[in-house]
Amino acid sequence: MTKVAPGARALLVDVTRCTGCEACVQACVEANALDSEAADRDRAVTADGLSANRLCTVRRLERGRWARVSCMHCLEPSCVAACLVGGLRRTPEGAVVYDADRCIGCRYCMLACPMHVPRYQWDARLPFMKKCSLCHDRLVAGQLPACVDACPHEALSFGPRTAMLELAHDRIAGQPRRYLPHVWGEHEWGGTSVLYVADVDLAPLGLVRGARRSVPSITEPVIRTTPRLALSVALTMSGLMWVVDRRRRLMGGAEDDDGENTGA
Amino acid sequence: MRDRAAVLKDVLWLLAMVGALAIGFRLWFGLGATTNLSDAVPWGLWKILNMVAGVALATGGFTVCLLVHVLGIERLHRLVKPAILIAFLGYGSSVFALALDIGLPYRIWHPFVMGNPHSFLFEVAVCVACYFTVTIAELAPIILERFPRWWPVVRRLRRAIPVLAVLGITLSSLHHTSLGSLFLVTPQRLHQLWYSTWLPVHFIVSAMGAGMMVVVLVTMMWYRLHEPDALQPEPAAEISPGDARAEDGAPSRLVELGTLAAVAAGVLALLVVLKVVDLLRTGAWAALLAGTWESSLWLTEVVVGGLVPVILMLSRGRRRRPGPIAAAALAAAFGLVLNRLDVGIFGYLRDAGAVYVPSLNEWAVGIGVIAAAGLVLLAVAEAFPVFDDGWRQRTVLRRRFRPDFDSLSRVWRTTLGDRLARLSWLAVLVVPLAWVALDPAPAAGRNPREAVQPPRAVDATRAVLRIDGNGDAAWAVTFPHLDHRRRLGGEASCPRCHHLSLPRDHATPCSRCHGSMHAATDLFDHGSHLAEVAAKEHLGGLHPANLSCPFCHLPDRPTSAVTVKPCLECHHGDMTPSPSFEKPHDLRLAPSYQAAFHRHCVPCHKREAERQGRPELAECRRCHPTAPRVVPLELPALAGPALQDPSLATRADTALVAVRTADPPVGS
Repeated sequence: MTKVAPGARALLVDVTRCTGCEACVQACVEANALDSEAADRDRAVTADGLSANRLCTVRRLERGRWARVSCMHCLEPSCVAACLVGGLRRTPEGAVVYDADRCIGCRYCMLACPMHVPRYQWDARLPFMKKCSLCHDRLVAGQLPACVDACPHEALSFGPRTAMLELAHDRIAGQPRRYLPHVWGEHEWGGTSVLYVADVDLAPLGLVRGARRSVPSITEPVIRTTPRLALSVALTMSGLMWVVDRRRRLMGGAEDDDGENTGA
Repeated sequence: MRDRAAVLKDVLWLLAMVGALAIGFRLWFGLGATTNLSDAVPWGLWKILNMVAGVALATGGFTVCLLVHVLGIERLHRLVKPAILIAFLGYGSSVFALALDIGLPYRIWHPFVMGNPHSFLFEVAVCVACYFTVTIAELAPIILERFPRWWPVVRRLRRAIPVLAVLGITLSSLHHTSLGSLFLVTPQRLHQLWYSTWLPVHFIVSAMGAGMMVVVLVTMMWYRLHEPDALQPEPAAEISPGDARAEDGAPSRLVELGTLAAVAAGVLALLVVLKVVDLLRTGAWAALLAGTWESSLWLTEVVVGGLVPVILMLSRGRRRRPGPIAAAALAAAFGLVLNRLDVGIFGYLRDAGAVYVPSLNEWAVGIGVIAAAGLVLLAVAEAFPVFDDGWRQRTVLRRRFRPDFDSLSRVWRTTLGDRLARLSWLAVLVVPLAWVALDPAPAAGRNPREAVQPPRAVDATRAVLRIDGNGDAAWAVTFPHLDHRRRLGGEASCPRCHHLSLPRDHATPCSRCHGSMHAATDLFDHGSHLAEVAAKEHLGGLHPANLSCPFCHLPDRPTSAVTVKPCLECHHGDMTPSPSFEKPHDLRLAPSYQAAFHRHCVPCHKREAERQGRPELAECRRCHPTAPRVVPLELPALAGPALQDPSLATRADTALVAVRTADPPVGS
């Protein structure tokens, strides 16, 4: 199982308390100094409400429920493993943050994310990727993420991941008829730092209950074979070359010379 | 023959010029304006066609080196130089297209300074860059041997050939497997027909097979342009087995090509077996039988790219004829490109829920880069001994740069000047047309991401507003503003839509209240009802359907599926039980819905009513709130007492039952 650093924080979303007011989105736009008009517009024109101008959104679920959706800040993030320049990293605070100075714009993180979270500034001439940073700069300064601060219904809770898990299980145990007995994000995709308790299924958000393996746990063993593969190919080829060459030399020297001269 | 080459070059120049223009647009306007990429489909044509497929098509450079330098198959010797040139151009053009595809092209050097060893893309970047350097080192002797000053370097590079070959093979096998592994990060997104942990193996095997076929194809095209005699079939006597390495050390070119194509076909046969076994292993074969467009693509790619070349190259006779060799090579190359497009684009579309059709700009750049690579190939091959020394000595060197006297216009002209004039004419004709077609600036005005239009008052009192949200006149809504205000409680109701309580929300979408209006079901089609009502009631105006709401939704009640007028109020005549099963598409109206619902619900209601002793469970009113209190007819045990109770049944109800008894029984 994944090791969680002691300082790792998590965000707990209680879907039963959310009223869809989007105060969190408003706070997010202000905290990240995004274009508020564009953010407003993108709620209507995007399929799921997320865009480079809206890093967090409130998505409608069945039975009139709403859920705040943004980067899940996975414990083993696929994007961090995918980025070829190390432009994404996971901080000890649990946030997965983006370093725009490294990014080359390959958009592999967008392909790699199992939750379709990273968004691109398609309108810009020199575009960057945008996603929620869990307000990492505020966390370092000892503040809460902007969305948690803004929520008027206490649907968002923030704290150490272990404490948030405990809180989630306590709520489920305390009101078993109010919640489905599952904490989304506890194990999905290897565990995430955004957790959900709800009374409706959250599969529409991409949190499929069965998907427990993180993506890096699939790819890391493959990429670890690289040095071995390189070595074995190089040795096999050199060996073959030596054997074939020797055989040819033994069969007749003249042919060998011929082969070398036309070899270019 | 020279004419054919000139026409080919003109076409390639044309494509390259259009491509150059499109590159200018891409750099000036940015990715979003010039491509059809989106957050749902972040990787498109340039990355998949030019990079992933382009690199795979250039695999010939390492496979032919493997066959000749490592396995010592000397009879393929003449194909080494073309293969190296193809590899150089394939990798060069791929890297060039990739530089355009990434958002920040000026940072393309970043991976070499700040790499992440856990990333497959990093491995690809490093190995491609290193292998590109190797192909330069392999290509250099061919170019430099024309210049005596560089002969020491040429000698040293020639001595390094074994090292370069092993290095090239190692780097190639690394990045070809990694290109497949790139897509391992999307287990939940890539279609199961293509997602497999064996992807890296599929990629390298298919690249090796198709890469050799590309060498065959390009060499044949060269021969066809400049040396058609080289492809004449051998006399029958020379086709004996094992004789290809002819006595005088000069095997026929067709025998070489046939041999390489046969080796490639062998690799492709392995690929077909691999793909089928993998499909059985992962259990995705069920998806193949599903008859979706993905399964058609998979079958096409395996049949055209795998089985066709293998079958064509099975017979010795066909391996000695140019037609089948070319067909096999073409099929293999097509199959490989299709496979890469499947894995990189088509396999993702179902999950993305989006459609991706590359924009004209994307096609122009993608094809233009390939055309430019073709031009460079022709130029290098004509100036240096790549395919065959003889041709160059016979024709090019004699002709090149020699002035020519035009007796008509009485001027000297050079081949070069002639060429430039021809190209200028081509550019004058084509570039303005391409400019008009590719310029993204006019399209920006039609961008759906533009701000939503504010509503316009239809009348002076703002009783009715015309909301044309996306600025598209075809779908405006006539919004009864006054009605809404009156119904929701006068002045106090303004915040319900103009949200003092909802931050960031200046224009509440109608769907926030009318959540059920787009909930299309199989049974009730809201859209066609709008049109039907508008037609039936002879509603006028620009958007008659928008005036039809009050015909079903009563004006004093909230507009939703729950409070709508009962269906039977309009469909009293046409929703009769169907005496037999009828095909729904034969029917104008819906006579069988009642039967369908009744058969679905009534038996269970009857059972429960009987079991629990609660006759009201089986009453019509249970499901039809406005219906008179009547119990379903063929429930004699319950109908009797219920009807005899005067408190339960009025006289009118009894009459209705009497009428209904004549109807054919429901649910039997």
